Amino acid sequence: MIELEGIEKTYSNGDVSTPVLKGVSFGIAPGEYVAIMGASGTGKSTLMNILGCLDKPTAGHYRLDGIDMVNLEDDDLSHLRNHKIGFVFQQFHLLQRTTALKNVMLPLIYADDYPEDAEDRAADALATVGLSDRLDYSPSQLSGGQQQRVAIARALITDPTIILADEPTGNLDSKSGAEVLAIFQRLHAQSRTIIMVTHDREVAEHADRIIVMEDGRIAEEVSVAAPRSAEEELKSLVNGEDA
Amino acid sequence: MRVLRVAGEGAQALTANKVRTFFMMAGTIVGIAALTVIMAIGKGTEQKVRKRVESFGPRAIMLIAGGGKDLPPPDMNVTTLRLEDAEAIRNEIEGLEIVTPQAWRFNMDLKHGANQIQAVVWGVEPNWHDAWNWPAVEGDGIAADDVATMARVCVIGSSVKRDLFGGGDPVGQTLYVNKVALTVKGVLEHKGTGGMGGVMDFDNRIVVPITTAMRRIMNVDYVGAIRIVSKDTALMPKQVETIRALIHERHHITPPMEDDFRLITPTVIGELARGTSRTLSLLLGALAGLSLLVGGVVLMNILLISVAERTKEIGLRRAVGATQRDVFLQFLAESLAVAFLGMLLGAGLGLGVSVLLSRVSPMPVVISWEPFALAALFALLVGTFFGVQPARRAARLSPVEALR
Repeated sequence: MIELEGIEKTYSNGDVSTPVLKGVSFGIAPGEYVAIMGASGTGKSTLMNILGCLDKPTAGHYRLDGIDMVNLEDDDLSHLRNHKIGFVFQQFHLLQRTTALKNVMLPLIYADDYPEDAEDRAADALATVGLSDRLDYSPSQLSGGQQQRVAIARALITDPTIILADEPTGNLDSKSGAEVLAIFQRLHAQSRTIIMVTHDREVAEHADRIIVMEDGRIAEEVSVAAPRSAEEELKSLVNGEDA
Repeated sequence: MRVLRVAGEGAQALTANKVRTFFMMAGTIVGIAALTVIMAIGKGTEQKVRKRVESFGPRAIMLIAGGGKDLPPPDMNVTTLRLEDAEAIRNEIEGLEIVTPQAWRFNMDLKHGANQIQAVVWGVEPNWHDAWNWPAVEGDGIAADDVATMARVCVIGSSVKRDLFGGGDPVGQTLYVNKVALTVKGVLEHKGTGGMGGVMDFDNRIVVPITTAMRRIMNVDYVGAIRIVSKDTALMPKQVETIRALIHERHHITPPMEDDFRLITPTVIGELARGTSRTLSLLLGALAGLSLLVGGVVLMNILLISVAERTKEIGLRRAVGATQRDVFLQFLAESLAVAFLGMLLGAGLGLGVSVLLSRVSPMPVVISWEPFALAALFALLVGTFFGVQPARRAARLSPVEALR
């Protein structure tokens, strides 16, 4: 479903050109949960931008559901992002002074066909992340973990081909982080395709497969034999609090 | 419709920060308010001018004794305007329908039996009734014979009928002016009040044959004014100049001597009716232009700051599927929404000021729909002109940069 073939990205600033990705190739099958790992400066953010169709590679091909985004115009990329990709960001990026429900509905504004049951869908998505009782709360009234869950509901609203999460637990305490990772694992169990970018090996080990980036190239690809269970970590965290 | 959904996102921004929204609107409010007031005053003035010209007579020229620039009351002490002048105009100027001299005195004592009132006495020729479109509705008007024989007759206004004759039939009865007995031969049509300040009672008068007035009542050999009615408004500018030249010649006036008469035309009446409203409109026009310009620049700058503050929001919208066009449209919609809200408030304010003006000043004001159409047009112009630049800047943000 996702195929990257010799992806290169070079930033040019006058005479100085800085290669950031130096030929990255991999594939991701439907229903896979993949973590892309690497320290900062290894090109993982750039790779994330390309995977999210926010940026185009300098060379190579990236096919998403058979569509090579390299050939697409800006408007077509917007369209592709709208209905094939659900984003979850480290900073949540929710609209302030806007209810959770309206935040979740945001991608539908830019959909070709606005569903008549948009509000019901958004409420369902919020139920999926356990926020049925927070529909009318604005971000400032929600905890960090709750805000990130609203963001996940927003990523789900267009029923995208892939969920793309960039350091989703980076701004959260360990309990909220575990909750978010538990949601991803539940979604994975419902055969959603998830790509998560992180610098944290423990977080990465919740995925089935880890792609390790180093200096603009893939350093290694690891299949995780027994992924960590966020659900159990959560239980032990809660028990730890009780004790 | 996607366009409407996106525009809705932009309009929603108004409620997000009300103080900011107010500053964005302030210039538009003042500008549109000023425009509304200008239009109300302009309409009111034109209506007032039309009414004044209508009552003066659109084809009338008044040749009034005494120099100066102002309107009547004419100077009845100027003794140079003669019946012969009227005769000369009648004979020498072409294209005139009526030339009728008139002499009058204010505050004359009228007596009938035990009743006594004060009224204006007008000495007129028969065509005075036509010249002012003012017929006798009971009995008869002044006739040519009356003038030729210096007849002791009069036609009275409805106020005189009421006050002197107690409303009874006055035709055939006698009244006294300066001990001159006059037989009432008719009653003039009711005209009501008007004139400067609207307090002059037009019906408190009697008209008598001009010869009777000059010789028997006033003992003068000159007249106060000659009313001239042209056959065609197109001829009037030329006729006015010919009349002026004729009177100059007859009165032996050569520059730099001052005229001993005035020529009042509908144009002069119109100018006087316009008064200060043109100056006020010019001032308000300058205010409107300046406010809309300054307000527009403020609007643009606040929007530019807003775009800078909201790069993350723009990045997010781009990430979840907004095209550059969507972002452009959202910010343009915000600008237009501000401009239209400002327009509504400004038009309301302008309406309030117009009504207030009409209450506390003599400024003529007419409220109509046109100012609102104009205001909507200006709002569209301001909103678009000053919204495009910020909207373009927002649309050009790269989603990657914006989300960083």
